[in-house]
Amino acid sequence: MRILVVEDDFLVADAIRRGLCMSGFAVDCASDAEQAAAALAAEHFDLALLDIALPGSDGLTFLRRLRNAGTHLPVMILTARETLATKVQALDLGADDFLVKPFEQSELAARCRALIRRSNLKSSGQLTLGKLRIDITGRQLYIDAEPVELTNREWLIVECLALNAGRIVTKERLQQAVASWDQAITPNAVEVHVSRVRAKLGESVVLRAVRGLGYRLDEPR
Amino acid sequence: MTAGSASATSIRRRLLLFLLPPLTLLMLVGVLINYRTATIFVRAAYDQKLADIARSFATQIQQGKPTPSVAPPGILFSISTPGGQTLAGRPGLPAAASGSAPLTYGDANLSGQDLRLATYRIPEAVITVAENDASRPNPGRFILASNWLIDFIQLDIILLIVWIGVHFGLKPLLALRRQIEARSARELSPLDTAPVPAEVRPLIDALNLLFELHAGAAQAQSRFVADTAHQLRTPIAGLLGSLQVLMREPAAAPLQSRLASLYEGVSTLSHSANQLLALARADRSTTLNDGFGKTDLKSAVERIVERNVDRAVECGLDLGAECSPANVEANARLLDDLLGNLMDNALKYTPSGGRVTVRCGYDAGRPFLEVEDDGPGIPESERPRVLERFYRIPGSAPGGCGLGLAIVDEIAKQHDARLSIESGAAHRGVRINLLFPAVRASAAESANRVAS
Repeated sequence: MRILVVEDDFLVADAIRRGLCMSGFAVDCASDAEQAAAALAAEHFDLALLDIALPGSDGLTFLRRLRNAGTHLPVMILTARETLATKVQALDLGADDFLVKPFEQSELAARCRALIRRSNLKSSGQLTLGKLRIDITGRQLYIDAEPVELTNREWLIVECLALNAGRIVTKERLQQAVASWDQAITPNAVEVHVSRVRAKLGESVVLRAVRGLGYRLDEPR
Repeated sequence: MTAGSASATSIRRRLLLFLLPPLTLLMLVGVLINYRTATIFVRAAYDQKLADIARSFATQIQQGKPTPSVAPPGILFSISTPGGQTLAGRPGLPAAASGSAPLTYGDANLSGQDLRLATYRIPEAVITVAENDASRPNPGRFILASNWLIDFIQLDIILLIVWIGVHFGLKPLLALRRQIEARSARELSPLDTAPVPAEVRPLIDALNLLFELHAGAAQAQSRFVADTAHQLRTPIAGLLGSLQVLMREPAAAPLQSRLASLYEGVSTLSHSANQLLALARADRSTTLNDGFGKTDLKSAVERIVERNVDRAVECGLDLGAECSPANVEANARLLDDLLGNLMDNALKYTPSGGRVTVRCGYDAGRPFLEVEDDGPGIPESERPRVLERFYRIPGSAPGGCGLGLAIVDEIAKQHDARLSIESGAAHRGVRINLLFPAVRASAAESANRVAS
């Protein structure tokens, strides 16, 4: 998976490039909007990391230009300016995520994976999460390419957790995802279904219960 | 300010004080003058009647007619010769003292009765006509009864008009007062000068100028914070990132411990910079009204738990939440800073195997936020001091800069929330609770309904 880093600070760009390379991404760097435009025109990228404070045309202007040109490339904004207004503006302009400097390398890598996962889902209808492959359109779960049998409710739980991988999914939300219009389901029943799902998924992913809130599905680190 | 000085500076009171007593006095004097003049006129009219009778008697005598012997009912008379011999009427009726005019008036008392006399002196006779004062309708009482009532009503109406006039005259001022009272302390937009009376206009102009200066200063401050954030964070991000990458490189293995302490140092620098910026952000002068609005505590709690789940797992802590929906009037960014700091403290100071719980909901109608851990806790003697900037409990774990709870306290003050530090369940750990002011009843009720 290839990522374009648009960042003018050499130290930051270098750290990101090296860090993401270690996490298994291919990374190219651009130090301003013109270089970035040239790189995007020449090659295919799965994700762009975009600093706001760039020399010349700033990151948000570049983002607007990309979206106006109809590019669906996932974009994560990296910035040291964490005002709410900036964040809202960036998301309005079509940014897919927003990360404030300084950040942990592991956090950056996890967010990059999540964004690429979501964009792949849009194009292929499939989600890959560690050893899991979830075929959303075909309603089929694979672990290491082996199909896994799931009941309807277990599938709905896996689907809901996988679509929100890396984020906490509240119990109420799972309850809504699982309940059909004629059959209500109790929170306890949700727990039972989740524990069955957990048994079937095994060690292939991390399914974590967050006390009082819900569950979070993650790739193993 | 004492109640006395407050009343002295109330324009309404002053106006009423300067208008009502003098007006009342003036009205009373008017009533008195009316009474006096009315008495004089009534007396003159009755005296005229006596004079007419006396004159008609005199005419009869001068025309040589028989001496009159009958008078109208209630009238006493006596006709005597200038020498004093009684010709007709009641003997012993005294005559009014003589004067320059032939007709004089006087008062006398005859066998216990107060009499009013009119004496007409002609060459032939002295004619005295008298009337009992008591038989005259009392002019005073009569006039008083009618005029007093009218004057009293008139006085009331005038007082009412003055009161209404003062009320309406001061209305623009009261409207201004309401306009100012309705603003929050953070609101710095200029006051509307359209409805302001000309007399108060310079005051409002001065206030608006002050607001403008203050808002400008606040904006400059928040711009400074943003610029500083950028200037500090970018190199820190570069340093931290490079160190993290370096530590993962096999070639750096022999330097691992030195890299780790370097990384820890840069992390502390990063943390301190972030905390100073958070403190600046929480400062009253930079947090203007923007960013304040109805904020959902539950989603703020979910955000903070989500952000810290991994760290809690790494620290071997059980992080959880117990929350029901609750809304506060708050700045979401500051609320995140507040929760972040409480969470940071809980995760930092609770030993592995511990339990950290974040709670939110309503407590007797007031929204609350709470973070509880079962770590070492804060000794009661230290509790008042931990809110001070840069204060660290002696012997506490390194890595903090002593600003966390100061930031929490500052943000709590911004939201008029009551901050309390207590021991956790079973007297272990610490429970920090923030009780916010009750939101509008309707909002709280609807949120409660959702909760139940």
